[in-house]
This record gives sequence, structure tokens and C-alpha cells, in this order.
Amino acid sequence: MSSKYKITHRTSYWYEANVSASYGRMRLLPRDLARQTCLESSISVDPSPGDHSQYLDLFGNRVDYVSIHDPHRTLSITAESIVEVQAAPPLPLAGNVSWESVRDGIGRIGGDEDVLAVQFSLDSPMVEASEAFEAYARPSFTAGRPVVEAVLDLSSRIHRDFEFSQSATSVDTPIEQVLEQRKGVCQDFAHVGIACLRSMGLPARYVSGYLETDPPPGGVRLVGADVSHAWLSAFVPGAGWIDVDPTNDQVPGHRHIVTAFGRDYTDVSPFSGVIYTRGRTSSLEVVVDVLGLE
Amino acid sequence: MQSQSQSQTAPPSPSPYRPAEGRYDEMVGADHQPREHWATLSASLAELDAEELLRRQVEADRLLQEDGAVYHAYESETGPWEPWKLDAVPVVLPSREWTSIEHAVSQRAELLSLVLSDLYGPRDLLRRGLLPASVVFEHDGFLPSCQGIRLPTDHQLFSYAVDLGRDESGAWVVLADRTQAPSGSGYALENRNVMSQVLPSIYRGADVHRLEPFFRQLRAALVEAAPRGIEDPRIVVLTPGPWNETAFEHALLSSRLGYPLVEAADLVVTGDGVHMRSPGQLEPVHVILRRVDASYCDPLELRPDSQLGVAGLVEATRRGMVSVVNTLGSGALENPALMRFLPDIAQHLLGHDLDLPCVPAWWCGDETELAYALEHLDELVLRPISRAAGKSSIFGAQCSAAELDDLKRRILHHPSRWVAQAPLDLSDVPTLTPGGLAPRRNVLRSFAVARGEGFAVMPGGLTRVAPNDDPGPISSQAGAIAKDTWVIASEPEATGSLALLGGPLSEEANPLGSLSAGAAENLWWLGRYAERTEALVRLLRVVHDRRNEFHGSNDVAGIATLNVLRDALATVSDTQRGMSDDPWSEVLSMVTDGARAGTLAHGIQALLESAHGVRDQLSGDTWLVIGDLDRGLSGIRGRANVRAPELQRSLQRTLQGLLALQGLGAESMMRDLAWTFLDGGRRIERALQMIGLLRGTIPSAPAGLTGSLVLESVVTAAESIVTYRRRSRLHWHLETVLELLLLDEDNPRSVAFQLKQLALDLGAVPNPGSTRLRSDQKRVLEATTALRTCDPSELVGPYGGAKVAELDAFLAGVEHQLREASEAVERDHFLLRLPQQRITGEIR
Repeated sequence: MSSKYKITHRTSYWYEANVSASYGRMRLLPRDLARQTCLESSISVDPSPGDHSQYLDLFGNRVDYVSIHDPHRTLSITAESIVEVQAAPPLPLAGNVSWESVRDGIGRIGGDEDVLAVQFSLDSPMVEASEAFEAYARPSFTAGRPVVEAVLDLSSRIHRDFEFSQSATSVDTPIEQVLEQRKGVCQDFAHVGIACLRSMGLPARYVSGYLETDPPPGGVRLVGADVSHAWLSAFVPGAGWIDVDPTNDQVPGHRHIVTAFGRDYTDVSPFSGVIYTRGRTSSLEVVVDVLGLE
Repeated sequence: MQSQSQSQTAPPSPSPYRPAEGRYDEMVGADHQPREHWATLSASLAELDAEELLRRQVEADRLLQEDGAVYHAYESETGPWEPWKLDAVPVVLPSREWTSIEHAVSQRAELLSLVLSDLYGPRDLLRRGLLPASVVFEHDGFLPSCQGIRLPTDHQLFSYAVDLGRDESGAWVVLADRTQAPSGSGYALENRNVMSQVLPSIYRGADVHRLEPFFRQLRAALVEAAPRGIEDPRIVVLTPGPWNETAFEHALLSSRLGYPLVEAADLVVTGDGVHMRSPGQLEPVHVILRRVDASYCDPLELRPDSQLGVAGLVEATRRGMVSVVNTLGSGALENPALMRFLPDIAQHLLGHDLDLPCVPAWWCGDETELAYALEHLDELVLRPISRAAGKSSIFGAQCSAAELDDLKRRILHHPSRWVAQAPLDLSDVPTLTPGGLAPRRNVLRSFAVARGEGFAVMPGGLTRVAPNDDPGPISSQAGAIAKDTWVIASEPEATGSLALLGGPLSEEANPLGSLSAGAAENLWWLGRYAERTEALVRLLRVVHDRRNEFHGSNDVAGIATLNVLRDALATVSDTQRGMSDDPWSEVLSMVTDGARAGTLAHGIQALLESAHGVRDQLSGDTWLVIGDLDRGLSGIRGRANVRAPELQRSLQRTLQGLLALQGLGAESMMRDLAWTFLDGGRRIERALQMIGLLRGTIPSAPAGLTGSLVLESVVTAAESIVTYRRRSRLHWHLETVLELLLLDEDNPRSVAFQLKQLALDLGAVPNPGSTRLRSDQKRVLEATTALRTCDPSELVGPYGGAKVAELDAFLAGVEHQLREASEAVERDHFLLRLPQQRITGEIR
């Protein structure tokens, strides 16, 4: 089974005073993956940028770079793409190896996969392994338990133990605080999951993307009411990376669209920029729409 | 105490140099005789008695001070600037030994260069297990955003420095690699410059390899590093600013190489590359010699909180529009654990061992090596790989039992973040101390730069010795003392590998003879503060003299004059007039209170800051004067009981300093764009000060005796009294005063004269694409026209006093035009970067 989506992601800024120059860097276009194909994609910027280029980062994500050199008071960036996503494959048999064997094998095998695995098992700017995370994770990682089973159990526990709350955290809330207050949003839950896996000595990466949402029961589908989504991915030697979505207690399937992955949010933030101005940003609007095409 | 002992006994005879037991001594061999290559210097040193040596040391300190050679030790208690410390006894190496060091340094640079291209490219070393991935990824010098950045040259490591030490056997060992933005080569040059003057005949007789050729190599290397297709590259030196620890060196290198010294705000990235903001225009930049740590270089892709970076620089580098050297990310090679793996990597990449061994090391990420490290913790030096584990090396031998326990706990918490190194019993070198020459441990930093297919190595380097006999690290931050390093030529100028390197040694003048907007701004303000303080000193002197004459007397006119002048002092300096009845404390505060804006001390501070910001633009002698200015007020600062003659002397000394600065500007600076802005700043400030003085005095002075006294004081403060007397003898006419101070285009103190010069200065600023006057020029022209068409008799009343309202309105009009002109200059020529802010695409 596969699904096709049209995704629109528009970010708009209004500034108090003239901005003399803006520089932006975005990861807004879906990646090509084994179960996902990006059929069309484009990014448009208003005012029209003096410079626009694209490159692949260390993790293979598509990054757009733009700069604007004419004075401006508003800025809007619109990313549009059409993407086809396959349903999740059945969980791999390789996942039956014990989580300890995965832990002990990291950094000892050599080769591309191993280098990546090491990179995702280390601390990163927003996620540091700690005893607190190890203590939280421990009940899921009983001796000899198959790694996939342990990871799924961890994801379910995060879903059960943590309350979804838009107001409890901000982008910069430290994850230790999230663990303490047991509240947050998808970004926080992904970070908590990653911190747990790394505290157990396992590699884990952050995945950013979108999720097709259903209209409220009896309601109509509202255009632009969607949001960006985030989950995490765990490494299983021989089988690659297994995604889990603790926010929804799901294994991501044909409704999850992947934009980018990295060590944590800082590697994949959809848009970050530097502007030069005397004023402040008076308002910011983000509109995301995930439209099912077939 | 000292004079007492001197009077009673003869000065202690210098104790002969005694090498320390059990360590290698650079000068004295096992046979207690000077080594062959030290023979000449050792004999010469023996001829100079201890006192003479100390005199040479004083001379060295003085020369360094004159050059403004400073180092910023962050932990210093004595203020931001530490004088650069140089020992008056050099260290000597024979040519033969140097050739092998040179070869080994070059070989190591080559290897590290290959490692660097691998780390940001295929990462083959990681995949093959020759270098553990976690060692690379956990080090703060590794920057993921810099993946794929490549220089167009053969070598990815542009410049390299290595700290070398000698062990007990006399063999050289590598202590540390410097690859981020290696510092010290400029200080080495300064050391040489000073030593060749302190020991001139010894230096001449010793056939020392010269350092200059290395800097020619550096220039040629910078040209080679330019993006492909750029024949005549524009090159700049990027500094974090005048407060950086090695800012002195940044300015020295920039002026020695002939490339502009810029800060991040002077650069801007656009669609067609990197540009320098220069007065009125953007100029392309092709190569950036970077002295800013890479992680601070771009707030968009590296540290978002950095104010020292240029947004878009990583992208410009990635696309090859500009070459940043050392490349962004080169700090990854400073990883202390890398040394542990380098021997195997050398075998793999070069097919042979390295000539110079590294100090033995154990990586704690390996269980066996961890066990060894823990067992020998009290003998080893423990170095954290990532900042998360700690910042500085820990010397096990210096730790208490409790500290060792704590260290063990920290290592076990995250073993792979630690590397242990064997301590090295470094060799000694004779070093001057108050008690004569004493053995001090030393480290040699050697410098190399990529040229063509190889590396050029500086013949010599920066030797540093421990400040005392204690063990511990030897670094400038830890108070180490530098030494000039003499490689003695066995034949005149046998240049070794330098001569073997082909390619042109570029000797042409830098095509980018222009100026960054930031430097232009600093020069403009340097000129303005210099004039502002000079005008203030002159007025203070007059107030001071009048106070001596009239304070406490019954002279009505004198007292009234003093009052007018005190008011004028407050208006001109834009401070509040003091409440005290005694003008003395007010004058004192106006001179010494650095915390109060508008005072002399405050103005001089601002002047010094502007000067530090453009030290590469100023001639070497400037630092003689700047140092004097800095010290001019030091004797009376913060004291309440200053006597009149002391104040007089301080004012005099400050004025002398300011005049010397003016003289240097007039006589020692090229009439280029830099001079234009310095002079322009002076002119506009002198005009504004004169108008301020006139507005602050004449309208409030009545005709008659007081009026005459006021006019005399004004003309004195305006440094025009001689001319005035020649013209009018003893009669004081307001009209004549206005002629002289306002309208006479031949009086170098008049407002009209300043405007004439200012118009010339502004006319020299590039005005690309337009032949029309800019708004700064228009304002100056309007002010000039107002002066030329003014009839001074109309501003003077029937009895010789001022027509107060008319005169003031006229002066206010000219002042207004000048302030507008100044704002236009700041707005249009300094192209200031607006405040930098971050934006994200997150609503939460």
C-alpha cells in the first residue's frame, strides 16, 4: 500500500523595522528513502532572494540556503512537495538480537554503517545521556530482550507516561526538565527516547517530517491546520534503522513523511536564519498542510 | 634595602650557570662544556657580566613596549594587556639538527593534511578502524557543517604549528599539534626584531637564519590558496578584534603581509561571494587568513550565538567562492587522542613511520589502555578530548589522593573522552633571572605553511620557557617567557627546503590597498578624539591659569571671566558644571575622572580604544606616543591631593603626546584613504570644538574689561594668541577675533580652514558610479558658503560686544551643517552592519 501527499509548509515573518539582509537555511524538502519517493519539490522565497542554492549535509538531508540583500519588512518561505510513501515493512527478523549485543557491537565492526551508528550513539547538542534517562529506560531493557521489542516497549511507555502539552515546553527546554515534568510535544518525546537509547549505549537518531492527520470526528478537513512532526529511529545491525513514534505509540507507516534526520533537533530544524535589523520580529506564522492525493 | 646592601658589600658576583641534574641542557653538554653550536653565544654571554645582561633585558623590555607588543592573558590581574615577555638570551640550534626537524615537521604537516581531507571527505580512516569514530565526533574541533569544504590547493591543511620538546636523552618529541588558527609566528618575528637590536654584534656574528623568507612564503601560499581562476586575489586577515589574546600579532601580520585587518562586521556574503565593506563600496575578497576560531565564524551554520562571524561564510566556502585558511573545521586535528593513532595512520597513508615520535599516549576508550592509565594515574598527564569532559590537562603527579580519586571517577564516567600522555622531562635552557642565568624547561613551537607540493617551515620558531622552576604546562596563558630561536647557518643563508620549493615568491604590493569600513570608522574616531582631547587640554590649561590668577581675588572682571570659562568648559565638554565653588576640584575631575563622559581621561580612553582597533594602519612609532598618552595621567589619576604643578605637568605631557600623534599623522602616514578618514575626523572635530568654544563664551561675555579678558582666553585656548597679537597688538576686538578664529582660511585653527581641508578629504573618498556631490560633501559646502558670505561686522554690536542672538544663530547654523555632515559620513561610508539576530521557524 502506498499513499501520495502534497505538502505545503509556509513560514512568514513580519518585522518592526527594515531588515538590511537575511540569511536562511532550511531543511523543508522530503528525502528519498527506501519507502519514500519525493516526486516534486520546490521552495519559493518572497522577497526574491539574491542567492539560492542547495546542498546535502553530513546526514544526506537536502538543505536550501538563501540570502536576501535588499531591505525588506516581511519574509515568507514556501516549500511545496509531492511525495509517495509506502507502508511500513514488517519488523525485521534481525531485530531479534539482544539489545546488549547491539550495544557491545557499536564501534567494533568498521564500515559505513558502524561509523554512522557511533555518531548517533554519542551526546549531541540537545541530548546528553545520563543516569536519569538510563533509570527511566531500564525497565524496557531487561536482560537479553530483543532490541526491537525493547525499543517498542520504551516508545509505548513514553506515550503512556508523558502528557502531550503545547504550553509545557519551548524549543529550548532541556530534556532533563521534560523527563521531570513528563509533559511536552513530539520534539520532546523524540529527544527523551533518543536520550534513553543513548544512555543504554544504543545509537538513536532524530527524524523530522509530517504526519497526515484526520479531521476531527464529524468535522471537515481544515487546510493548513497540520504541523511538523518528529519521532526517532533506532539502529539494528543488519536491518538498518527502525522508526518509532512515541507521540502516537506507532511504528511510522504510510502516513509519516520524512524530511530529514540527524543527531537531534539542531541538525534538522526546518528553518533557521540570521537577520540584520534594529527592530524585532513582530510576528511569525507557520502554516503546514498535508493533503492526501489518492 | 638594595641600596643598603650595595653600600656595605660589593654587588654579588654572578653565579656561573649551573645546569640542573638529570635533565638535558640545551647549552651545556654532559662534559660540562658548552655544546659546539652554543660556543660563540656562550662565550659572548660570559663576557657580558650579570649586570650588563640585565641591562640588555631592560632594553628588550623597552623595545617591546615601544612596539606595543602585548599579550592578553585572560586570567591576568594586572589589566587586559600583559607586556609580551621576552628573555634576552636566545636559544640556539645548529643547522644540521634543524634540517632534520624541518623535514619531520613538514612530513607531519603532510600527514595531518591528508587526515584532514579524509575527516571532511570519505572518512576512510574511520571505516577502516584506524581512527575510532567517537574520537573524531566527540572532539569540539570537528564541525559537521564543514563536510565537503575543500581548498583548491594540494594540501588541505594550510598552516601548521607544532609544539616540540626534548626528552632526557636529547631526542625531540611532539607534544601538541596546532591547526585551528596557529598563533605565534608574528611573536617570533617580533622576538627576532627586538633581539637583533639587543644583542646586535652577537646576532650579526652568529649567521642566524632570517625569518623574513618564511613570511614571503606565507604570502605566496595565500595567493596560491585563492579559488581557481582568480589571478589577482584579494586577501584579508580576519581577527576577533582588538581584545583578543593575540591581537598584537594579528595587526603585526596584517601590516607585515600588507593585507587589511578586518573584523567579521567588515565582511559580507552575497550571491557572488565574500566582500569587504569599504568606504562607499563593497570590494571582493578571495582569501581569508582566519584568526577567529572556526566555530565562531558563521552564526548561520556554526555557533548561532557568535557575534564574531559572517553569516553565509560556510556556504561561500563550501561553494569555493572564497578560501578560508585554515579551513573551517581544521581544529579537528588538535584532538589530543589523534596522536595515539597517528603512527598507524602514517603507515597506512605514507607507508612509513613518522620521523618525530609523539609523546606516548593511551586512549581510555580502549579497555587495556584504560587499565594502564588508571594504574599509572599519578604519573600521567590526562587530557580531555571534549569540552564536556573538562577544559584543561591534569598532571597526575601534582594531584592529591582525593584529586586522583575524583579524576578516576571522571574518567570512568566516560572513558572514551580521555587520553593519557606520558609526562616529558623537558630540556632546560639558560634563562635570565634576577639571580643570573638559571635552567628553565622549554618548548619550541615550529611553524609551517603549505607551498605547492610541500610545506615551508620557518627556520627558527617561538621558544617558550617556564616562568619558574615548577612543573606544569608551558604556555603564554600560564605566564611563559618567550625566547628568540636562532638556527645557526652552517653556510650563509642555506635555506634548506625553502630553496627547493619552486613557484614565485610574490613580492608585489597588495592590490587591495584599500580600507575596511570598520578601520575607516576607527580612524575617523581616532581623529575626532585626538582633537577633542587636545581642545579640552588647551581649555583646561586656560581655566587653570585664570584660576591661579583670579581665584579668591577681588578682581571683578577676573572672577566674571573665570565663571564664563567654567561654563564654557561644561558646554564644550558636554558635562554638567560642578557645583563646587572651587574651580579646582572641578578642573581635577575634568582631567582625571575616567568614569565621567566628556572628561580628559575618558576621551583618552576612547582614543586608545580607537587606536587599538586600527593598529595595523598606524606606524610603529605610534605606539611610543600611545604608550605615553596612556601613562600621561597615571601619576594623578584617582588622587584627591594633586598639587597645581603636578596637574600642570600632566596636562603638558598629555598635550605633548597629542601633538606627537598629530605629527606622526602628518609626517609618517601615506596620504591614502586611511589618512583621509583620520584627517577628516580631526578637521570636523576641530571645527566643532572651535564653534563650541565661541558659542560657549562670546555671547555670555559683556563688552568692556571682562569681554577683553574672555576674548584673550578664547584666543589663547584656540592656540592663536601669537597671530592675534601680531595683528592687533593689545586691543581686543570681537570682529578681529571672529575673523581669525572663524573665517580666516589661512589660520590652521580657524573653522574655515578645517572646512577647506574637510572638503578635500571627503573628495578623496570613492564615489562609485556618480559624479554628483554626496550629502556629506553638500553639508560641508553649505557650511563653507555660509562662512564665506558672512560679514563679521554684522555680528558685532555698536559697542564692540556681540549681537548675541544673531551670532549664536549663525554659529548654530554652521554647527548643524557639520553635525549633519558627520552623520552622513558615518551612515554612508562606514556601511555599518545592523544588529545581528536569529530567527527560527518555530511557533511554540
